[in-house]
Amino acid sequence: MSQIKRLVLDVLKPHEPTNVQVASAIGDIQDVDGVNLSLYEVDQQTENVKITVEGTDVDFDLVLQTIENLGGVVHSVDEIIAGNKIVEEEETLHDRG
Amino acid sequence: MSFNIEEGRYLILGSVDGLLATLGIIVGVSVVSASNSIVVSAGFGGAIALALTNGLGSYLAESTIEHGKLVRTEKSLLRKLNNTYVASQSRKKIAKDAITHGGASFLASLVPLAPWIFSVGSVIASVALSLTTLVALGFYAGYISRQNYAISVVKMVGLGMLIVIAVQLLRLVHLV
Repeated sequence: MSQIKRLVLDVLKPHEPTNVQVASAIGDIQDVDGVNLSLYEVDQQTENVKITVEGTDVDFDLVLQTIENLGGVVHSVDEIIAGNKIVEEEETLHDRG
Repeated sequence: MSFNIEEGRYLILGSVDGLLATLGIIVGVSVVSASNSIVVSAGFGGAIALALTNGLGSYLAESTIEHGKLVRTEKSLLRKLNNTYVASQSRKKIAKDAITHGGASFLASLVPLAPWIFSVGSVIASVALSLTTLVALGFYAGYISRQNYAISVVKMVGLGMLIVIAVQLLRLVHLV
Protein backbone atom coordinates (compact mmCIF):
# COMPACT_ATOMS: atom_id res chain seq x y z
CA MET A 1 0.00 0.00 0.00
CA SER A 2 1.38 3.45 -0.84
CA GLN A 3 2.47 5.80 1.86
CA ILE A 4 0.13 8.57 3.04
CA LYS A 5 1.90 11.92 2.87
CA ARG A 6 -0.92 14.23 3.94
CA LEU A 7 -4.28 13.89 5.67
CA VAL A 8 -6.84 16.64 6.19
CA LEU A 9 -9.53 15.74 8.71
CA ASP A 10 -12.67 17.50 9.90
CA VAL A 11 -12.92 16.67 13.59
CA LEU A 12 -15.47 17.41 16.31
CA LYS A 13 -13.92 17.38 19.80
CA PRO A 14 -14.79 18.34 23.37
CA HIS A 15 -13.12 21.44 24.87
CA GLU A 16 -10.94 19.23 27.05
CA PRO A 17 -8.35 18.05 26.11
CA THR A 18 -7.13 21.35 24.65
CA ASN A 19 -6.18 21.83 21.00
CA VAL A 20 -2.56 22.07 22.09
CA GLN A 21 -2.77 18.62 23.69
CA VAL A 22 -4.47 17.11 20.63
CA ALA A 23 -1.95 18.59 18.18
CA SER A 24 0.95 17.45 20.38
CA ALA A 25 -0.43 13.93 20.67
CA ILE A 26 -0.79 13.59 16.89
CA GLY A 27 2.64 15.17 16.38
CA ASP A 28 4.14 12.48 18.61
CA ILE A 29 2.95 9.68 16.31
CA GLN A 30 5.77 7.93 14.46
CA ASP A 31 6.44 9.15 10.89
CA VAL A 32 4.35 12.29 11.41
CA ASP A 33 6.49 15.30 10.48
CA GLY A 34 4.01 18.03 11.28
CA VAL A 35 0.47 18.87 12.37
CA ASN A 36 -1.67 21.91 11.67
CA LEU A 37 -4.79 22.23 13.79
CA SER A 38 -7.14 25.14 13.20
CA LEU A 39 -10.34 25.92 15.04
CA TYR A 40 -13.27 27.05 12.96
CA GLU A 41 -16.35 26.62 15.13
CA VAL A 42 -17.12 26.57 18.84
CA ASP A 43 -20.26 25.79 20.82
CA GLN A 44 -20.97 25.22 24.50
CA GLN A 45 -19.81 21.59 24.65
CA THR A 46 -17.65 21.03 21.56
CA GLU A 47 -15.48 22.60 18.90
CA ASN A 48 -14.87 21.87 15.22
CA VAL A 49 -11.26 21.73 14.08
CA LYS A 50 -9.48 21.03 10.83
CA ILE A 51 -6.43 18.85 11.36
CA THR A 52 -3.78 18.60 8.67
CA VAL A 53 -1.19 15.88 9.23
CA GLU A 54 1.92 15.53 7.08
CA GLY A 55 4.61 12.92 7.22
CA THR A 56 6.71 10.39 5.36
CA ASP A 57 4.29 7.51 6.02
CA VAL A 58 1.31 8.61 8.07
CA ASP A 59 -0.57 5.76 9.75
CA PHE A 60 -4.22 6.70 9.24
CA ASP A 61 -5.54 4.15 11.75
CA LEU A 62 -3.16 5.40 14.43
CA VAL A 63 -4.14 9.03 13.80
CA LEU A 64 -7.81 8.03 14.02
CA GLN A 65 -7.20 6.05 17.21
CA THR A 66 -5.33 8.99 18.80
CA ILE A 67 -8.12 11.43 17.98
CA GLU A 68 -10.80 9.07 19.28
CA ASN A 69 -8.83 8.35 22.45
CA LEU A 70 -8.79 12.09 23.11
CA GLY A 71 -12.57 12.22 22.80
CA GLY A 72 -12.74 13.48 19.21
CA VAL A 73 -14.86 12.28 16.32
CA VAL A 74 -13.64 12.37 12.70
CA HIS A 75 -16.54 13.77 10.69
CA SER A 76 -14.84 13.51 7.32
CA VAL A 77 -11.54 12.93 5.59
CA ASP A 78 -11.36 16.04 3.43
CA GLU A 79 -8.07 15.41 1.68
CA ILE A 80 -5.60 12.56 1.34
CA ILE A 81 -2.29 12.66 -0.48
CA ALA A 82 -0.64 9.31 -0.93
CA GLY A 83 2.26 7.97 -2.98
CA ASN A 84 5.89 8.88 -3.34
CA LYS A 85 5.41 12.63 -3.59
CA ILE A 86 2.92 15.32 -2.58
CA VAL A 87 0.53 16.15 -5.39
CA GLU A 88 -1.52 19.30 -4.94
CA GLU A 89 -5.05 19.63 -6.27
CA GLU A 90 -5.16 21.15 -9.77
CA GLU A 91 -7.65 23.86 -10.59
CA THR A 92 -9.74 22.94 -13.61
CA LEU A 93 -12.00 25.03 -15.83
CA HIS A 94 -14.91 23.71 -13.82
CA ASP A 95 -13.40 25.11 -10.60
CA ARG A 96 -12.65 28.48 -12.24
CA GLY A 97 -16.18 28.71 -13.64
CA MET B 1 0.18 16.12 44.05
CA SER B 2 0.01 19.62 42.58
CA PHE B 3 -3.00 21.84 43.21
CA ASN B 4 -4.73 24.05 40.68
CA ILE B 5 -7.25 26.80 41.38
CA GLU B 6 -10.21 24.38 41.32
CA GLU B 7 -8.71 22.14 43.98
CA GLY B 8 -8.21 25.18 46.23
CA ARG B 9 -11.93 24.91 46.90
CA TYR B 10 -11.63 21.53 48.61
CA LEU B 11 -8.40 22.46 50.33
CA ILE B 12 -10.06 25.45 52.01
CA LEU B 13 -13.37 23.65 52.66
CA GLY B 14 -11.68 20.63 54.21
CA SER B 15 -9.20 22.63 56.27
CA VAL B 16 -11.78 25.00 57.75
CA ASP B 17 -14.11 22.09 58.46
CA GLY B 18 -11.48 19.95 60.15
CA LEU B 19 -9.94 22.81 62.09
CA LEU B 20 -13.07 24.37 63.53
CA ALA B 21 -15.09 21.19 64.08
CA THR B 22 -12.23 19.63 66.03
CA LEU B 23 -11.71 22.86 67.97
CA GLY B 24 -15.40 22.72 68.86
CA ILE B 25 -15.00 19.15 70.09
CA ILE B 26 -11.96 20.11 72.19
CA VAL B 27 -13.69 23.13 73.75
CA GLY B 28 -16.80 21.07 74.43
CA VAL B 29 -15.02 18.01 75.91
CA SER B 30 -12.66 20.13 78.03
CA VAL B 31 -15.73 21.43 79.92
CA VAL B 32 -16.39 17.96 81.37
CA SER B 33 -12.84 16.64 81.49
CA ALA B 34 -9.35 18.09 81.50
CA SER B 35 -7.87 14.65 80.80
CA ASN B 36 -5.50 14.68 77.83
CA SER B 37 -6.38 11.17 76.74
CA ILE B 38 -10.13 11.86 76.72
CA VAL B 39 -9.72 15.06 74.70
CA VAL B 40 -7.33 13.32 72.25
CA SER B 41 -9.68 10.31 71.86
CA ALA B 42 -12.69 12.52 71.23
CA GLY B 43 -10.71 14.78 68.93
CA PHE B 44 -9.26 11.92 66.89
CA GLY B 45 -12.65 10.26 66.63
CA GLY B 46 -14.08 13.48 65.29
CA ALA B 47 -11.12 14.02 62.94
CA ILE B 48 -11.45 10.58 61.38
CA ALA B 49 -15.22 10.83 61.07
CA LEU B 50 -14.90 14.26 59.44
CA ALA B 51 -12.20 13.08 57.03
CA LEU B 52 -14.27 10.09 55.94
CA THR B 53 -17.53 11.97 55.56
CA ASN B 54 -15.87 14.84 53.71
CA GLY B 55 -13.94 12.50 51.44
CA LEU B 56 -16.91 10.25 50.69
CA GLY B 57 -19.24 13.20 50.34
CA SER B 58 -16.95 14.82 47.77
CA TYR B 59 -16.56 11.52 45.97
CA LEU B 60 -20.32 11.15 45.64
CA ALA B 61 -20.89 14.77 44.67
CA GLU B 62 -18.07 14.94 42.13
CA SER B 63 -19.01 11.55 40.64
CA THR B 64 -22.51 12.85 40.05
CA ILE B 65 -21.38 16.14 38.49
CA GLU B 66 -18.63 14.60 36.35
CA HIS B 67 -20.91 11.87 35.07
CA GLY B 68 -23.50 14.48 34.15
CA LYS B 69 -20.89 16.55 32.28
CA LEU B 70 -19.65 13.45 30.46
CA VAL B 71 -23.14 12.46 29.35
CA ARG B 72 -23.83 15.98 28.02
CA THR B 73 -20.57 15.94 26.08
CA GLU B 74 -21.31 12.45 24.71
CA LYS B 75 -24.68 13.72 23.53
CA SER B 76 -23.03 16.58 21.62
CA LEU B 77 -20.40 14.31 20.09
CA LEU B 78 -22.84 11.46 19.38
CA ARG B 79 -20.40 8.94 20.77
CA LYS B 80 -19.47 7.28 24.05
CA LEU B 81 -16.39 8.51 25.88
CA ASN B 82 -15.67 5.34 27.86
CA ASN B 83 -11.98 4.35 27.84
CA THR B 84 -10.89 7.74 26.48
CA TYR B 85 -8.54 10.35 27.89
CA VAL B 86 -11.62 12.46 28.72
CA ALA B 87 -13.15 9.73 30.92
CA SER B 88 -9.84 8.95 32.64
CA GLN B 89 -9.25 12.64 33.44
CA SER B 90 -12.76 12.78 34.89
CA ARG B 91 -12.02 9.78 37.15
CA LYS B 92 -8.72 11.32 38.27
CA LYS B 93 -10.47 14.60 39.14
CA ILE B 94 -13.06 12.78 41.26
CA ALA B 95 -10.37 10.89 43.16
CA LYS B 96 -8.17 13.95 43.63
CA ASP B 97 -11.07 16.08 44.92
CA ALA B 98 -12.16 13.38 47.39
CA ILE B 99 -8.62 12.85 48.70
CA THR B 100 -8.00 16.62 48.92
CA HIS B 101 -11.20 17.26 50.85
CA GLY B 102 -10.82 14.34 53.26
CA GLY B 103 -7.06 14.73 53.61
CA ALA B 104 -7.19 18.49 54.25
CA SER B 105 -9.92 17.92 56.82
CA PHE B 106 -7.87 15.32 58.73
CA LEU B 107 -4.60 17.24 58.66
CA ALA B 108 -6.27 20.46 59.78
CA SER B 109 -7.96 18.55 62.63
CA LEU B 110 -4.50 17.76 64.00
CA VAL B 111 -3.73 21.47 64.51
CA PRO B 112 -5.96 22.15 67.54
CA LEU B 113 -5.26 18.61 68.81
CA ALA B 114 -1.48 19.07 68.71
CA PRO B 115 -1.08 20.60 72.22
CA TRP B 116 -3.13 17.74 73.69
CA ILE B 117 -1.21 15.08 71.73
CA PHE B 118 2.02 16.43 73.20
CA SER B 119 0.44 16.55 76.68
CA VAL B 120 0.62 20.33 77.01
CA GLY B 121 -3.06 20.64 76.28
CA SER B 122 -4.94 23.81 76.92
CA VAL B 123 -7.94 25.31 75.18
CA ILE B 124 -6.08 28.59 74.78
CA ALA B 125 -3.21 26.85 72.98
CA SER B 126 -5.67 25.06 70.66
CA VAL B 127 -7.48 28.31 69.88
CA ALA B 128 -4.20 30.17 69.26
CA LEU B 129 -2.89 27.48 66.89
CA SER B 130 -6.22 27.32 65.08
CA LEU B 131 -6.36 31.09 64.58
CA THR B 132 -2.78 31.07 63.27
CA THR B 133 -3.76 28.38 60.77
CA LEU B 134 -6.80 30.41 59.75
CA VAL B 135 -4.50 33.38 59.06
CA ALA B 136 -2.42 31.14 56.78
CA LEU B 137 -5.58 29.88 55.07
CA GLY B 138 -6.71 33.46 54.66
CA PHE B 139 -3.47 34.28 52.81
CA TYR B 140 -3.92 31.22 50.62
CA ALA B 141 -7.52 32.21 49.85
CA GLY B 142 -6.33 35.71 48.98
CA TYR B 143 -3.66 34.29 46.68
CA ILE B 144 -6.14 32.06 44.83
CA SER B 145 -8.90 34.65 44.54
CA ARG B 146 -6.50 37.54 43.74
CA GLN B 147 -8.33 39.51 46.40
CA ASN B 148 -6.83 41.76 49.04
CA TYR B 149 -4.93 39.48 51.44
CA ALA B 150 -6.05 41.46 54.50
CA ILE B 151 -9.72 41.06 53.59
CA SER B 152 -9.30 37.30 53.06
CA VAL B 153 -7.50 36.89 56.38
CA VAL B 154 -10.13 38.93 58.23
CA LYS B 155 -12.93 36.84 56.69
CA MET B 156 -11.22 33.57 57.62
CA VAL B 157 -10.26 34.58 61.16
CA GLY B 158 -13.66 36.23 61.69
CA LEU B 159 -15.39 32.95 60.87
CA GLY B 160 -13.10 31.11 63.24
CA MET B 161 -13.75 33.55 66.07
CA LEU B 162 -17.50 33.17 65.53
CA ILE B 163 -17.26 29.40 65.99
CA VAL B 164 -15.04 29.74 69.07
CA ILE B 165 -17.45 32.25 70.63
CA ALA B 166 -20.46 30.03 69.86
CA VAL B 167 -18.83 26.99 71.46
CA GLN B 168 -17.67 29.04 74.46
CA LEU B 169 -21.25 30.25 74.95
CA LEU B 170 -22.44 26.64 74.97
CA ARG B 171 -19.70 25.88 77.47
CA LEU B 172 -20.88 28.70 79.73
CA VAL B 173 -24.49 27.48 79.46
CA HIS B 174 -23.31 24.05 80.61
CA LEU B 175 -21.45 25.51 83.58
CA VAL B 176 -24.54 27.48 84.60
